[in-house]
Amino acid sequence: MDQQGQNGLLSTYREGWRNRSWVGIAFSVLLILFYFVLYWEHKVEEYFGATPLTAASEAVGLRNRWYLYGFLYSVAIVGGAIYYLRRHGNSRYNRFRISVNVVIQIALGFSLPFIMPLFGGKEFYFSYFWPLKYDYLYPQTLADLPLYLALYTIVGSLIAAPILAVLYGKRWYCSWICGCGGLANTFGDPWRHLTSKSTKSWRFEQISIHVVLFIAIATTFLIGLDWLIGKDHPTFHRIVAGNDWRDWSVKSFYGFAVGAVLAGVVGTGLYPLLGPRVWCRNFCPMAAILGWVQKVGRYRIRVKPDMCISCGNCSTYCEMGIDVRSYAQSNESFTRASCVGCGMCAHMCPRGVLKLENSWQVADDKDRQNLSVVNF
Amino acid sequence: MIIGNGVAGIEAALAVREREPEWPITLVSEESDHFFSRTALMWVFSGQMSHQDIEPLERDAYARLGFKRVRARATGVDVEAKRLLLAGGHAPIAYDRLLIACGSRPRPGPWPGSDHRGVGHFVTLQDLSWYEREVHGEAGRAGDPPRAAAHLSASGDDSPYRFREVASARRGSVARQPAVIGGGLIGIEAIEVAVAARLRPHFFIREEWFWPIALDPREATWISGRMAEHGVQVHLQHDVQSIEADSDGNVCAIQTDQGTYETDCVVIAIGVMPNTQWLADSSLAIDSRGGIVVDEGLQTSAPDVFAAGDCASVRWFDGTARPEQLWYTARDQGRVAGRRLLGDASKYDRGIWYNSAKLMDVEYTTVGLVNWNVEREQNWFFEETGRVRSTTRIVVQDDRVVGFNLLGRRWDHSVLVGWLEERRRLDWVLRHLHEAAFDTEFVPALRIPKPGPRLDGPAPNPMIPGPTKVPF
Repeated sequence: MDQQGQNGLLSTYREGWRNRSWVGIAFSVLLILFYFVLYWEHKVEEYFGATPLTAASEAVGLRNRWYLYGFLYSVAIVGGAIYYLRRHGNSRYNRFRISVNVVIQIALGFSLPFIMPLFGGKEFYFSYFWPLKYDYLYPQTLADLPLYLALYTIVGSLIAAPILAVLYGKRWYCSWICGCGGLANTFGDPWRHLTSKSTKSWRFEQISIHVVLFIAIATTFLIGLDWLIGKDHPTFHRIVAGNDWRDWSVKSFYGFAVGAVLAGVVGTGLYPLLGPRVWCRNFCPMAAILGWVQKVGRYRIRVKPDMCISCGNCSTYCEMGIDVRSYAQSNESFTRASCVGCGMCAHMCPRGVLKLENSWQVADDKDRQNLSVVNF
Repeated sequence: MIIGNGVAGIEAALAVREREPEWPITLVSEESDHFFSRTALMWVFSGQMSHQDIEPLERDAYARLGFKRVRARATGVDVEAKRLLLAGGHAPIAYDRLLIACGSRPRPGPWPGSDHRGVGHFVTLQDLSWYEREVHGEAGRAGDPPRAAAHLSASGDDSPYRFREVASARRGSVARQPAVIGGGLIGIEAIEVAVAARLRPHFFIREEWFWPIALDPREATWISGRMAEHGVQVHLQHDVQSIEADSDGNVCAIQTDQGTYETDCVVIAIGVMPNTQWLADSSLAIDSRGGIVVDEGLQTSAPDVFAAGDCASVRWFDGTARPEQLWYTARDQGRVAGRRLLGDASKYDRGIWYNSAKLMDVEYTTVGLVNWNVEREQNWFFEETGRVRSTTRIVVQDDRVVGFNLLGRRWDHSVLVGWLEERRRLDWVLRHLHEAAFDTEFVPALRIPKPGPRLDGPAPNPMIPGPTKVPF
């Protein structure tokens, strides 16, 4: 692999399968079908009498279809990482970040949750926190966990995650640790340029992500309340948590609508059509919180003044749909709540105009040119 | 009224619109419906971006901002009647104030055969279309921009925006052995896109080393080596004599003073010149280089007519008036011209020179007087090898730093410009050099061993006679 340079040589993104050709559409349909079977295999069994994923997991010696999913997830991340690093591995930031993604997925996303139950422990994902892992702050979940894991979850979700986001931006989680981000930046990388840059999509994101955040917090609150008073109020308990896991309740609705449909079917199934961050950008409640924190923290994208040639590589390859060029050509160092700090704008920039940095020092370069195309 | 839909024209139009929401603004452009970044054509070629990706404005911006567009070739300015003449039967358009920002055209090859089928340039959208078709086949990887041929009914035979005939279409096979003539920035872009298309192009360079106006032989040797590693056949000190075609009229060989080389596609990249032939009968003052003569406020010899960008001969620090063919300067001139169109007094002040580029995968930053044969010039040069490869060259006059030439790493030129203005000494600059570093995270810092390299003599540059006085 060629290691020179922070930008590297030209690469092409114009293959049809990466640009919504029929291959891309077919691939998207296949992914969506896969998620349907994964989440609603009992329905498949009802209508077709088959449980393809469970059968497949038993055939390869995994305990259930969720371990098979974890295994396939790891394979997708490793394969995507190889593909990505062959193209962009000349940058050390990319190499480090993607290597951490791979290690986290294999160790914390697959191996530990698989091994722990073998030794009598709980299946536990160290790399996920509330509210992304929405049930990790449900009182019942915490009560079932060993004390150290319960503490890990509470401290991790409520204290460590925001503090790290103040210091390093949300990227410490969204681009380095998170499994969703890991998949997006490896397996999903071929479609990163498809994320919409339009002002409309930005407005949609600002509303949708906060709606989901509100629902996530409300659901957690109601389920906590149910734990306290549910025994005395059976109707409340029925509505919030349900008596059986098949019942429609607030809890199962959140699991269905957010956990399965938005994060799985839409979030990953539409990679080949809408880019790899549909979930992270528009719906992830954890990204919403960390985004707020990021705005008041140290992290920013620094812009070198007056060097931008407006070529558009940064905006094109922003997987979060940020029009980075508009900031770069107006000499404006900036922090956007949605930025996950993947570093690809700085990497793709052929003039080295952009730099990710953590610094309390206020960027003072904004006033150098006050007239520019983005004023409109 | 603005001629040119490039960065200078658009910046001027935006500056006017910001203050005058009601003024009618008309943009005349032959080349394109949309403002695009010309420096980004290479990424469209390679498929790294689409046509829309290289457009800084959203496509509805013209309607939103009330910019009227005319897609036609301007054929002259009637400065007495204040009218702009257009080709293709368009009626002349009257103007109150006119900005000419019509840019550059590629310098034509001076050799016999420079017009053969399969010979072209890499400057305009239409050049891109031609080169894409030669290398990739019928359609380019990013397709064509909208209304690609809308100007053809109002164009001219000598226009740089005519489409060239494609040799690969006639031959029935795409180019397998392209050649590029001219060792400068456009040349190396044409080379890089050919490399990205998995070809091993010939690169004919007349000089002793690549890009002598900016690099010294040590730096250029590295870049040439880099090109060779990627399969480029670099031919230094090759003077092209003629370009040959086969019996069908398709280009087939380049004859140089060092021998004959087979080729099936030739890009001539020997620079650009102001696109001002159409003004020949318009009584505007044009200098010997073809640039429109302007004063400090970018006004031409005619009242209410201004010029900005590549087509204008602006005053350089050494006192000469020449066009400055850069993205940044066109942008800055456009902003000044916008104020002039509004009726303000405004002057174009270049400030200290800086530029950046990417030579294959080696990033390049330059600031100040590099390769200018400065009086009593000395050069401090350090070559870094290991995990990061880079070169650092600092140009010094009497112990004061007057220029930087930096390859392989990223630097914040604005910090370096400040040091030149403050007339810093070499040892001070070396102690503080890390403050100007702009490398991405985890790139190990540049370490200069002690004792560092010593100063050596002036950098050779056959293009500049010198000695040049330091203006700051």
